[in-house]
Amino acid sequence: MNNTLTYDLKINGEIETVTAPAQETLLTVLRERLHLTGAKRGCDQGVCGTCTVLINGEPMRGCLTIAALCEGAEITTIEGLATPEALDVVQQSFVDTGGIQCGFCSSGMILTVSSILKNNPKASETEIREGISGNICRCTGYEKIIDAAVLAAQQINGAGR
Amino acid sequence: MKIHKPTTLQEAAGLLAADDGAQCIAGGATLVAMMNSGVVEPSALISLEYITGLNEITKSSDGSVIIGASAKHKTVAAYVDFSEAQNIVGIAADKIAHPPIRNMGTIGGSVVVGDPAADYPTALLAAEATINIVGQDSSRSISAEDFFDGFLSTALEEDELVQSIQIPAGPENAVAVYDKIAKIAGDIAILSVAVVIASSGDSCDYVRIAVGGCGPTPYRVPEAEAKYIDGDLDAAIELLVAASDPMSDVRGSAEYRRKVLPRVLRRALTTAQQMGGRE
Repeated sequence: MNNTLTYDLKINGEIETVTAPAQETLLTVLRERLHLTGAKRGCDQGVCGTCTVLINGEPMRGCLTIAALCEGAEITTIEGLATPEALDVVQQSFVDTGGIQCGFCSSGMILTVSSILKNNPKASETEIREGISGNICRCTGYEKIIDAAVLAAQQINGAGR
Repeated sequence: MKIHKPTTLQEAAGLLAADDGAQCIAGGATLVAMMNSGVVEPSALISLEYITGLNEITKSSDGSVIIGASAKHKTVAAYVDFSEAQNIVGIAADKIAHPPIRNMGTIGGSVVVGDPAADYPTALLAAEATINIVGQDSSRSISAEDFFDGFLSTALEEDELVQSIQIPAGPENAVAVYDKIAKIAGDIAILSVAVVIASSGDSCDYVRIAVGGCGPTPYRVPEAEAKYIDGDLDAAIELLVAASDPMSDVRGSAEYRRKVLPRVLRRALTTAQQMGGRE
């Protein structure tokens, strides 16, 4: 018999009350209970990075996170980046450089790049490559994703001048 | 499944002792992956996240560093107060997987798996670390060498948990080298070598060489270390290779490991010698 728990998660600034079996991962809760399907289920082993979400601003694996242990944390999913009017600067950069093909890795890639640039707006290309090393893409060959991250960095730094 | 959020180590140990199917969870990087693949089905998860201080790294007056069990790989990799010898552990932490996993995974969670190809175990042997363990009414300390007692096996009893990992200051003027061979950066090692050497004047008078991924547990060979101190690098490598017992897996064959090990040993030791200024 499953022990069902009820708990609150703070997702993209909103409190969501979840009732779910205790063992459900954050990825399952996001996708199947809250219908936030931006985070993808790839390997379910923490290897591929498609389920990456930001927990307290740091990229982590939704598939390896027990949702009920996230009470009190700030969770950001891809759905939390854009406003109704415009894409976030990193999202727009991915569109502009062609950093998106099938899209399966994109949520994780974009959130990871957002976190890298938030922690270090002057991140070098090498630091960006290292930062996204845990996110696998099978379409782009990565170059256009790197281009997107570099473009986003330029725009963030330009806007700050 | 139940979820417990104890706030003290004693409470956690009590919960663990009271339920045979309970598992402690820190970062979740290994345990939840095992749950997802159906390898384990805990009756309860005991979160260690709410235990104050368990994720802290502290330096003692004798120079030893005590790493709390739930310290993340990222925190250990970024810790700046390691001595050069202790830093073998920090270097290894930085080689574990990728940034998101280093944001989640913890040193306690890593060592309790007992994977001989994981990065921490090999480094902890080279650092002569001690594992501090608590049970409901007990506590004990055990050397890393004795803690890893078999393939995916440790000396930890079912009702015990790791409290911290203690790393002695080590010698002065030390150099640490961690050499990891993997199919791609961030993967689990095919094999790894951790070296700590120290010299006084022109001569090397201290060496610890640990090998991971080449047997059921990481290992050292004191006779090989003595040969190295005597200046006989070839004999040291030969003894270390003779002690290997590699297996074949998805990452490499036993034959490949036997072929590569002496070369990685030579490279790691030569690098350490050069960094330490010894010809």
